[in-house]
Amino acid sequence: MSEDKPTANPSVILREEFDDWAVLFDPDTAEGYALNPTGVLVWKQLDGKHTLEDIVKVVRESCEDVPEDVGQHAKDFVADLVKQGLAGYEVKG
Amino acid sequence: MTSPAAEKPARRLRLMRTPKSVDIDITDRCNLRCRYCYFFTSPADVKQDLPRDEWLRFFEELNRCAVTEVCLAGGEPFIREDLPDLIRGIVRNRMRFSILSNGTLITDDLAAFLASTGRCNYVQVSIDGSIPITHDSFRGQGTFYKAVEGIRTLQRNGVSAAVRVTIHRQNVRDLDNIARLLLEEIGLPSFSTNSAGYMGLCQKNTEQVQLSSEERYLAMTTLLKLVKKYEGRISAQAGPLAEGRDWLKMEKARREGLDSLPDRGYLTGCGCPFSKIAVRSDGVYVPCNMLSHIELGRINRDSLQDIWQNHPDLWKIRERRSKPLGDFEFCRGCLYLSYCTGNCPALAYALLGQVDHPSPDACLRKYLEEGGRLPEESPE
Repeated sequence: MSEDKPTANPSVILREEFDDWAVLFDPDTAEGYALNPTGVLVWKQLDGKHTLEDIVKVVRESCEDVPEDVGQHAKDFVADLVKQGLAGYEVKG
Repeated sequence: MTSPAAEKPARRLRLMRTPKSVDIDITDRCNLRCRYCYFFTSPADVKQDLPRDEWLRFFEELNRCAVTEVCLAGGEPFIREDLPDLIRGIVRNRMRFSILSNGTLITDDLAAFLASTGRCNYVQVSIDGSIPITHDSFRGQGTFYKAVEGIRTLQRNGVSAAVRVTIHRQNVRDLDNIARLLLEEIGLPSFSTNSAGYMGLCQKNTEQVQLSSEERYLAMTTLLKLVKKYEGRISAQAGPLAEGRDWLKMEKARREGLDSLPDRGYLTGCGCPFSKIAVRSDGVYVPCNMLSHIELGRINRDSLQDIWQNHPDLWKIRERRSKPLGDFEFCRGCLYLSYCTGNCPALAYALLGQVDHPSPDACLRKYLEEGGRLPEESPE
């Protein structure tokens, strides 16, 4: 793991509910965060082993009609997860 | 009667992959014997408690199934000496929890521990009176002061205290004072109400416990007035307040000649089996702690996800929603048919021995036929 490889907060629960949509539930705050199917795909890559570039590649391979700026979408999405405390980066040292 | 939904339920009824929450009777034991307790002598009262390690193993499965919350009840959860170990197991497995309690066994140490987890949604304590004589009448001498002290102990330690008031014949004239005690003196943000249902020990004591039509009218009228006074800080999902609101809505729809109300006219009175499941104190899965005679499997032996998605008895309860009330002789000719939900399946079972039937308990037509009156229109 490194600073450019995001990791899911291990306390957070992924509840896959209807039609591949899902909710991230943080039991420490009791707050939920809705994910569409692409968000679920990205979330499952947040294992500290994949860079954002790796994740974008997985999205391109797995989804149809992927927009050209998917890289920026993924970056913004992961940044929001980090801001919400749902994901993070390992701090070196 | 066979509906398309009954033939192919998965196509009509959307279901989460796993339950969102699980209601657990964590013990069969209690230090009290409240005279209307739904639990004792009901099918939930199995005279067996599972050891700690069985529950801890089960919590690991709940984690794998992405269950977010458990509600611990019984019996009295605080009677278990290993309750802190069980709660640590819940927290370790990424869940939040709530506890239903009589409030008499809550100590500062336990409350401080609950607060320290950061995962306790609330502890619900039962308070049935503003003074000992009304509360203790069915719960036992000395329980009022202990329960109030239990609430204060929770508050002192920063645990969210919820209160449920069960309305019965001994406290129906004490509701104003109960509201004042809870909302003004104790300073709770809100409390909820219900009434003693015809289950468990209540079945033996129904004459002393359950409200007459006139008392039901009094309870509805008083509670609707209190809701207005306290600006919505009193709630109910069943019992006189819920009935008062619902029946007024039904009467208004009838008077205005509406064809129907949304999601009504069928057995839609219970949505629980779409989001949660329950476990008895012996580890047997049941659809609800009040439908504990329907055994679905056993924890740590049968897969929760498999039971949730595939058990025919669970689907049968979910499919109640597709059964029109007009198909039941009980409802035939009722002017409220298209505005009614058929109410609680557990009460239907307790009263008639049938789950797939409207419950007579919260039936507006029956209430009116027995001399009941509706409260004044929209006092809220």
